[in-house]
Amino acid sequence: MLDLHGYGPRLLEGAGVTITLALLALALAIVLGLITASAKMSRSWLAHRIATFYTTVIRGVPDLVLMMLLFFGGQIGVNVITDFLYYEFDIDIFININAFVAGVVTIGLIFGAYMGETFRGAFMAVDQGQVEAGKAYGMSDALVFRRIRFPLMMRHALPGLSNNWMVLLKTTALVSVIGLSDMVRVAAEASKATREPFVFMMTVAVIYLLIASVSEWIFARLQKRYNIGYGEAD
Amino acid sequence: MAATPIPLEVRNIKKRFGDTEVLKGLSLHAHKGDVITMIGASGSGKSTFLRCMNLLEQPDEGDLIVHGEEVRFKTTKRGREPADWKQVVRMRARLSMVFQSFNLWAHMTLLENIIEAPIYVLGKPKKDAIEHANALLERVGLSHRADAYPAQMSGGQQQRGAIARALAMDPEVMLFDEPTSALDPELVGDVLKVMHDLADEGRTMIVVTHEMGFARDVSSQVIYLHQGLIEESGAPADVLGNPQSPRLKQFLAPKY
Repeated sequence: MLDLHGYGPRLLEGAGVTITLALLALALAIVLGLITASAKMSRSWLAHRIATFYTTVIRGVPDLVLMMLLFFGGQIGVNVITDFLYYEFDIDIFININAFVAGVVTIGLIFGAYMGETFRGAFMAVDQGQVEAGKAYGMSDALVFRRIRFPLMMRHALPGLSNNWMVLLKTTALVSVIGLSDMVRVAAEASKATREPFVFMMTVAVIYLLIASVSEWIFARLQKRYNIGYGEAD
Repeated sequence: MAATPIPLEVRNIKKRFGDTEVLKGLSLHAHKGDVITMIGASGSGKSTFLRCMNLLEQPDEGDLIVHGEEVRFKTTKRGREPADWKQVVRMRARLSMVFQSFNLWAHMTLLENIIEAPIYVLGKPKKDAIEHANALLERVGLSHRADAYPAQMSGGQQQRGAIARALAMDPEVMLFDEPTSALDPELVGDVLKVMHDLADEGRTMIVVTHEMGFARDVSSQVIYLHQGLIEESGAPADVLGNPQSPRLKQFLAPKY
C-alpha cells in the first residue's frame, strides 16, 4: 500500500492550491486574451501597439524569470513607494506582495498573451456575413458580440484554449519557487524529509494527470456544445 | 388627419471606396406597398446602394429618412459616421435585410434564428415570438424544419428561413440583396414565390436582383443603375419593355 508518511492531507491541500491558482489564472488569462485580441483587431494605432508590446515581451521572456521579477521586483517597487509615503507624508502603510496573488497575476499575464493570439485567430475565422446580419437586425455591438460573435468564435478558439489550459496547469508548478505551498512544493519537502522522492513525485504526477483528464472531458463537452449546428453535433 | 410618414426616403447618396466613386448621388422614395427592383451589371453599385440604406455601408454624403425620422450624421477624422448609434439601431429594426448568402446564424436552429432579434432587439416575450415564428414558418413552408440548423438545410430552405427571420421583425421595409443569386436554379422558384406573395399582400420591398421576370411581374418601379447613377427608372413596362438608353438595351438583350 502507498505510504505517504502522513503527508497525504498536506498534499491534498497543495492540490487545492494548484487547482485554485490555475482556475483564477485561467480566468485572468481569458479576460486579458479577449482584451488583447480586441486591441490587435482595433483601428486604434495605440491599442494595437500596446497589445503587440505586451505579447512580444511576455512571449520572449521565460516564465520563471517573469514570476521572480514580479514577486521580488514587485515587492521592491512597493517598498520604494511606501517608504516614500512614510518619509514625505508620514503615511505608514505596509504592503506585502502575497505569493498566491503574485502567482495568479504572473501566470494570468503570461497566458493572456497566448490566449490573445488564440482568440484573434478565432475571431477572424468568424463569418462576417453572420455578424452583419446581427447588425442589420438592429443589434448593438455588445449584443452582436454576446449572441453571435462570441459563440461562433468559441468553436474556433476551443482547441487552442484547451491546449493553453494544459500548459497553464503545468506552469503552476513554478510557483513553488516563490514559496507557495502548491502540491509540487509539498511533495519536494516530503521527499527530502522521508528520502522517498519517487513515492511523492509519482503521486503528484498522478494527480496532475487526473486533473488533466477531467479537463479533457470538460473541453470535449464544450467542444460539442460550440460545434452545434456544424453537422458534427449529434 | 396627419399623413403617415413614408417608410423610406433616400436623398442624394454618394459613396466612394478609396479613389473610386461607387455611388454618385442616388435618390429613392419607397411609399407603402411599393416594390422597387434595382437592376444593373455587377459593379453598378446596386448592392452598395442597398447596404447604404441600413448603414451597413456609411454613405459619404446624402440623407436617409426612415419613417419620417432623419438619420443624423457627424464628421470624424475617419469620415462621416452616424451621430447617434441608438438611432441607427432603432432604424435598422424597421428595415429587415435578406442577404445573398442567407447569413442565418449557424449556431442556432431555424426557430432560434427567427426569434432572436424580436426577443433581444424588440423585447418581445419569448412565448409570443415563438408563436409568431411558427406562423411565419408555416407561411414559407418550413414548419417541419423549425429545429434544423442552417447547415442541415438546402440553400432554398435557408433563404426562405431568412425571409421568415426578416418578417419576424414586422419591418416597415424589406431589403433584398440578390436573394436568389446563390441558389441552384431549381431552388430559385420557391424563394421567388414567397417574395411574390409578400408583394401581393402589400409589403414595401426594395429588391436588388438579376431576375428580370420577377422585376417585370412584381415591381411597381424598376431602377436601372449604371456606374453609380440611375440611368433609367419607372414602371416595369416602360423600363423593361421600352428601354431608352443604349446601355440598358444592351443589358436587357439576350446574351446568347
